[in-house]
Amino acid sequence: MIYLFFILTAVLAILTYFIRQRVLSHVMVFLYVALMMVLAVHLWPQPGQSLNAYFYSDRLGLIFYFILILVSLLSAIHYMKFVVDRNVKVADVALHNAGTIFFTGAIVGVLFTSHFGILWAFMEATTLGASVLIYHNRNQDALEATWKYLYVCSIGIAIAFAGVLFLGFAAQQVGHIDFSFAAIKAEAGQLNTVWLKACFLLIVTGFSVKMGLVPLFNVDIDAKDASPSQVGASLSSVLMNAGFIAIYRFYEAFSGTSILPWMNKLLMIVGLLSLFFAAVYVLRVKNVKRMFAYSSMEHASLVMIAFSCGGLGYFAAILHLVMHSLVKSSLFFQVSQMHRIFNSKLDENIGSYLRVNPLGGLVMLLGFLSIIAMPPSGMLISELYMFQALVAKNYWWVALIVLLLVLIIIYGLAVKMLGIIFLKKNTASINMQGASPYESILQLILIIIVFYIGLFRPPFIVDTILVAIQSLPA
Amino acid sequence: MINFFIVLFIVSLIYLSKVEMVKSYFMLMAMQGILLFGLAYFELKEIDLVHLLFILLETLVFKAIFVPLFLQRVTKNRIHRHHNAPIKGYYSVLITAVIVIGCFMISYEIHDELTINADHQVKYFTAAISSILVGLFIAINNRDLITHLIGYLVIENGIFLLSLGLGAEMPMFVNSAILLDIFTSVLIMGIFFNKMKDYFQNADSGQLSQLKD
Repeated sequence: MIYLFFILTAVLAILTYFIRQRVLSHVMVFLYVALMMVLAVHLWPQPGQSLNAYFYSDRLGLIFYFILILVSLLSAIHYMKFVVDRNVKVADVALHNAGTIFFTGAIVGVLFTSHFGILWAFMEATTLGASVLIYHNRNQDALEATWKYLYVCSIGIAIAFAGVLFLGFAAQQVGHIDFSFAAIKAEAGQLNTVWLKACFLLIVTGFSVKMGLVPLFNVDIDAKDASPSQVGASLSSVLMNAGFIAIYRFYEAFSGTSILPWMNKLLMIVGLLSLFFAAVYVLRVKNVKRMFAYSSMEHASLVMIAFSCGGLGYFAAILHLVMHSLVKSSLFFQVSQMHRIFNSKLDENIGSYLRVNPLGGLVMLLGFLSIIAMPPSGMLISELYMFQALVAKNYWWVALIVLLLVLIIIYGLAVKMLGIIFLKKNTASINMQGASPYESILQLILIIIVFYIGLFRPPFIVDTILVAIQSLPA
Repeated sequence: MINFFIVLFIVSLIYLSKVEMVKSYFMLMAMQGILLFGLAYFELKEIDLVHLLFILLETLVFKAIFVPLFLQRVTKNRIHRHHNAPIKGYYSVLITAVIVIGCFMISYEIHDELTINADHQVKYFTAAISSILVGLFIAINNRDLITHLIGYLVIENGIFLLSLGLGAEMPMFVNSAILLDIFTSVLIMGIFFNKMKDYFQNADSGQLSQLKD
């Protein structure tokens, strides 16, 4: 079934590229989302089962897969409006939609593979797919962002491949080389820890570009800024999840070895440094899309810090990723609408948004409350769990630093966001035709889901995450 | 023979850091491709024939012929000399030499601790890590986009050497996926390189500063 899925992905992507009819091109993307739903129905009853030599479906992959379906569906809907508003050329629509199918298919591969080599190959494929999407606007900014993204990602992915080969060196010493997750996990205890540490360090460095973390975060910010907002939504949610799951697979495989505390320290350092850079940049940023990109970096950092604590931190990290994916997609989708109304991405040109576009303003306000983890946002719960995990580990000083940096980020976001939502500014021109109630309602639904998770903590979601992390050490 | 190829590969790395004519870069990339072909042939004689043919094809057709020709076509022979390298001439040779010596010393020192099987893995390890670091150095030291691309390819060659040092191979399916990815990334980078030249009169990364906070 999974091979058939990838064959159909390739066929649909190629067909879409050659379709020179806008509506039909959009239909192909919706058809692909429907195909993803069919795969979900097929995979859900068999969690943790091996599908074949290279693929398996576990609960974590499925959680991120459902988010991928949701975000892809909403991106496709928003892109239809984007095409009409910008009068995008048919050939560009065809390339974008084909790129979307290719990119989404590559992420599916990352989520469900059970082989480190294949994981790497699909990760590289996401770079190629994302490059096509980032270049959509065909202007100087898009070209610069695409070149930088493609180049730095390729270097990052090459570094990650060196990590995979280091793992091979380690495995070679105990006999045969088998890069499947199960084989590496079974043998990890006998492997040389120096190789494993080097492997994990290179993997975190290489895939940091996908999660938007230190050291390779810059190109990710540029990409989210220069691409259409629905692409920014995908990069901030599903690609970040893919980056996380790639690091997670290595972490899980090595978690039974003596390098576990070292891996936790490394993830904590990466998280803290990323949080520091996010705090510094968010104070000076003027562009709304870049601001949300730095906010994504903040949340990726919090995920890493929570994850590095282990225990409750694992749960907090995955819950946080789930909710962040929904909220950040919603905010990026809304930015697209805001841009249409004010014809600007700079906060100084956007004001009184709640008055100008009440429904869109409400999305912005609730989304803002969510990303700063104000009650009743579900993200408050995951951040509280994170602090609980830090305190349980006696990392008081880390908790204090995190608290301070998060407060700085909240201040930076609040100054700009409250100005955008409530403050009257000298906006040059307002185009109310850009407001789209049906788009805002869809975005509102995503945020309400996050509020619902925060208020009611549905057992279905909690249990699924707990099952997903049960293979990690307690 | 393997030693000879590895030494030549390291010499090509040192020469790469000194080169100023863009055409010489393409020649050196082709030379590295041929050296990797030779290394793969002598190193992997014992693996199955299909696998061996695939790897030989990868090195000879892709690395030694396709990439240099493609890059030459992309630049359309219009860019002759790269410029603006902060560290020039013999200083960059010196730095590359230090990188190679450093990599050798580290590989030799830690090979006991890492229990690398055979001595020849130390050679591979030295050449591979040197190539990765020299690739990064070339990319950082130059502002021309074409040298950035060359830096990336040198890193890729280093990683190929590392996988040769591993001896045993990944399954064919994985190998094909990896080759396809690298092939496509070079192709797409080439296409974007062309577009960059249309937008920015010369291909200088210093002009890529539109996107900022």
